[in-house]
Amino acid sequence: MKEPRKARDPWPRKRQGPLAWIRDHIRVATEASHFLSARLAASLVVWLLVGIALALPAGLFLLQVSLSGLTQVWDGRPGVSLYFDLGAENITTVADELRGLSEVDSVTVVTQEQALEEFQRHSGVSDALALLEANPLPASIRATMSPGASLEDLEALALRMRAGAGVSEVVVEKTWLQRVNDISVVVRRLGLILGALFGIGAVLVTTTSVRLAIESRLEELRVLKLVGATAGQMRRPFIYFGALYGIGGGIVAAMLLSLALIAIETPLADLLGSYDRDLELAGFDPIFILWLLGIGGGLGVTGALIAVRQRVSTLEIF
Amino acid sequence: MGRIEFHQVSKRFLSGLDALQDISASFDAGSMTFLTGHSGAGKTTFLKLLLCLDRPTGGQILVNDVNVTQIRESRLPFYRQQMGVVFQDHHLLSHRTIFENVSLPLRVTGLRPRDIGRRVRAALSAVGLLKRERFYPNQLSTGEQQRVGIARAVVARPRILLADEPTGNLDPELSADIMNLFLQFNQVGTTVIIASHDRALIDQMGKRIMELSHGQIIKDVS
Repeated sequence: MKEPRKARDPWPRKRQGPLAWIRDHIRVATEASHFLSARLAASLVVWLLVGIALALPAGLFLLQVSLSGLTQVWDGRPGVSLYFDLGAENITTVADELRGLSEVDSVTVVTQEQALEEFQRHSGVSDALALLEANPLPASIRATMSPGASLEDLEALALRMRAGAGVSEVVVEKTWLQRVNDISVVVRRLGLILGALFGIGAVLVTTTSVRLAIESRLEELRVLKLVGATAGQMRRPFIYFGALYGIGGGIVAAMLLSLALIAIETPLADLLGSYDRDLELAGFDPIFILWLLGIGGGLGVTGALIAVRQRVSTLEIF
Repeated sequence: MGRIEFHQVSKRFLSGLDALQDISASFDAGSMTFLTGHSGAGKTTFLKLLLCLDRPTGGQILVNDVNVTQIRESRLPFYRQQMGVVFQDHHLLSHRTIFENVSLPLRVTGLRPRDIGRRVRAALSAVGLLKRERFYPNQLSTGEQQRVGIARAVVARPRILLADEPTGNLDPELSADIMNLFLQFNQVGTTVIIASHDRALIDQMGKRIMELSHGQIIKDVS
């Protein structure tokens, strides 16, 4: 027997020109669209499943964005309000003391007279108030915390002010913000967890659907392999199937979300109204929808790649 | 181009069955050879190894002096683009027209649509089916389907044409027609290897006959 010869490469990889490459992609994409539309009922089921899998985490994301928006609307930073005893005379001193603190950003003083004027303006009971012998409203100071100040700083400041002379009440304005922030964190984490779980679900749905498509086209794959199709050429139609399943799922998710938003718009407006806030559902914009389609397409392609890798590599020809 | 050499090629399946045992043979470029033998003699395994659809457990296969058993997996498609293959059951795609079926080997090479059309029609013309290009396989007779299979095998102008029982389902008259087609392609320089157990037909062709039995060459008559 001759010594084994070292293999040369007399059949080198022939690079297709860009035009041929684009032409092939257009042809494959068109064929994939026809394939899916010819099996519309099955395709709709896949789109619905992928759409539901995308809609839930995407909805939580929107909720989290809206909650973050609410806290920003609130003016962004917590603070304390100090209410003084009637007739207290150290208001200016306390205000100056607060202005000197690094954790305090701004200080607004409302004198008894200003409080009364404001009350008269908003309450519409100016005639009744005129009958009172003395102004019953206390003077107050509102101190807004600096951007870098923590909740601990806020609580320490409130404690200190409570001990001050002439201060009858200290209201810490953090609870509402903190709750919203806490809910926002929970929603974000829930969104991430559900996103991961439902993302895996979307990939599995696409993998199964693409595998079925592969099974229905095994004969074509065998012939293509035999006539010299590269692995990329054999994968290509199924990658398009996956992408179309994913993008279709993204469209369904966007539709489901818009329906959900329409459904919750009124009750949510009422709820926020009770907190004296306007409804502003942030995030559901064209960029978000493009992201949704992109993520759907990406998950679909991932599912298709898994299916193709499992099935095409083990393809027996005859 | 198209010279093939088998050097002590063996193929043992995982079951322990020896499909081929120490096969050594050479096929000149432009030659035509019939592989014959009983069912399970090793004919299909011989063709599969040549197409690199399977790897031998021993020996080497040279095509144009290159050991094709060592070609990397990523390069195999470009090797197979130089081969044409015809099967007994055609392997035509029922949902594609005759034109689309025949164009498959050209499509994978990235040829322009205009050139694909020209070459597909030339191949269909060579097998006498030019007027059926818009038909679907199930609208054709068995003999016509086999001609389409041959057109698909030769449309990319392969150096080597392999056929596995190409006349297995055909009556003697159609079988002779199909063999004459192979002969025509051989006459323009294509190396042709046909696996067939139809001894009467093979004998009529007057070409080299290699008989296999239990994975070994028991007769090689030119």
